[in-house]
Amino acid sequence: MSFIEFSNVVFYYNNDEEAQNNRPAIDGVSFCVEKGEVVAVIGHNGSGKSTLAKLCNGLLEPDEGEILVDGISTKDKKRIFDIRSKVGIVFQNPDNQMVATIIEDDVAFGPENLGLKSEEIRQRVDWALKSVGMSEHAKGTPFKLSGGQKQRIAIAGVLALKPQVMILDESTAMLDPLSRKEIMDVAMKLVREENMTLINITHFVDEAMEADKIIVLNDGKIFMQGGKEVLTKYAELASIGLEAPLAVRVKNKLNEQGYDLPTVLTDEELVDCLCR
Amino acid sequence: MREISLGQYYPASSLIHKLDPRTKLLISIAYIVMIFFIDTFVGFGIVAVGLLGTILLSKIPIGKILKSLKIIIFLVVFTVLMTLLFYGGDKSEPIWSWWIITFYKQQLIDCGIIACRLLFMVLGPTMLTFTTTPVQLTDGMQSLLKPLALIKIPVHSLAIIMSITLRFIPTLSEETDKIINAQKSRCADFESGNIFKRAKAMIPILIPLLTSSIRRAEELANAMDSRCFKDAKHRTRMKKLKFGWFDPISFILFCVLFFVILWLKFNFLPFIDLRAFGWII
Repeated sequence: MSFIEFSNVVFYYNNDEEAQNNRPAIDGVSFCVEKGEVVAVIGHNGSGKSTLAKLCNGLLEPDEGEILVDGISTKDKKRIFDIRSKVGIVFQNPDNQMVATIIEDDVAFGPENLGLKSEEIRQRVDWALKSVGMSEHAKGTPFKLSGGQKQRIAIAGVLALKPQVMILDESTAMLDPLSRKEIMDVAMKLVREENMTLINITHFVDEAMEADKIIVLNDGKIFMQGGKEVLTKYAELASIGLEAPLAVRVKNKLNEQGYDLPTVLTDEELVDCLCR
Repeated sequence: MREISLGQYYPASSLIHKLDPRTKLLISIAYIVMIFFIDTFVGFGIVAVGLLGTILLSKIPIGKILKSLKIIIFLVVFTVLMTLLFYGGDKSEPIWSWWIITFYKQQLIDCGIIACRLLFMVLGPTMLTFTTTPVQLTDGMQSLLKPLALIKIPVHSLAIIMSITLRFIPTLSEETDKIINAQKSRCADFESGNIFKRAKAMIPILIPLLTSSIRRAEELANAMDSRCFKDAKHRTRMKKLKFGWFDPISFILFCVLFFVILWLKFNFLPFIDLRAFGWII
């Protein structure tokens, strides 16, 4: 059984029959996420990406269909905290995720909620801060840090709950390119070293290139789903307002000019192709 | 502005800083009560010695502490003036008089006592906030107020609310600056006009601030829920409060001080009669 299973999920923000324009935010979505997988969810603004994240750990409940996390339904109110300690979400704005003025106190918030013993919390906080490379800032305040550093602390805050799945809900959207890379590096390191399952919700197509599975959302429906080959579908991506990776775009433009290049995805592949 | 959430905390490593926040809170409260028992300059002198000792131990520069008194200077001056103008006490020894104003000896003494009382009253809690971070204060209060949970007062929730409030003060003040600049760049005028006009000019700041705070609150609630927040009651803490060796000592020292002050006021020791030293009382 897959770790996260969406089966025919429908979700309305405004479940009012008479409301005009009553379109579901998520409309009949089904997919699976296996343990240890890296999944990218891409789509333009308003495609239902963030709703999908909130459905995964029971912040929102599906109106139709069912979501199973490690075999537990997110509708099961009694076990909702089991789900939330398995599936952690890092949100977009790091400032709005911090509850304490001292960094280590903030990271400790999650394990404190679980009711763990003081020594165990201390251990987890130290481990989480070390994993994201922020140990030396433990006793400081987050106010003077850069966006990327703040977001790393937000990741540590989720990590301290020892989740099996980490969802990055546009966690890099507010960051500059350098910090973005920093966050992706930390996330990929967790996938490698801690066997973390990663669901990266993003509108940066290049971030999706590191994923094993790619889900393209449009208007609450799954538009495309599959491996990396999804990203090479230049025309389809363009039709819903997404930009294919640079190499794919260059290849397409060249082919329009009469060249005959094979399918490429990364910049390196393109360079290899052109050099031949 | 960014340091606002640390209040006027002065980071240093001293015995006073290391005291348990509960000790400091309890002593501060008792200290304020004590100040009300003092009605002689000798009493204030004794407290001043104690306070000076504390300040020296805390390694905080005295100038910094005196600076923090600035905010109440107005209050002191106002109170002293009121006492000078509307005095209704002992009028037996006039000292100086001009036109319809007459100053009496007791009146001047009362003025001095009142000024001292106000200044000393502020100095105590100032030492508390100088040596204790807001987070420690919240933890201390939560621990001291625990008995109130028995009568269903949600002490834990209040503590969380308070620490989140402290957390968001710098964020919101930064946001306010941003909104002010945004409105200014669209030619909003906050500086001219009478007080009503200026108050009205604040509306384009307050409304965006309100909507953004609500949005932030929603996101924070989601983030807290995602991190398994159930209720404040069943949480455990990473940092537990612990009394050190200096806590009992400071309690004892303070009790001695309080005892001396009470003795000065009520003269209850049978073997020494304070009235023999008339100048003290």
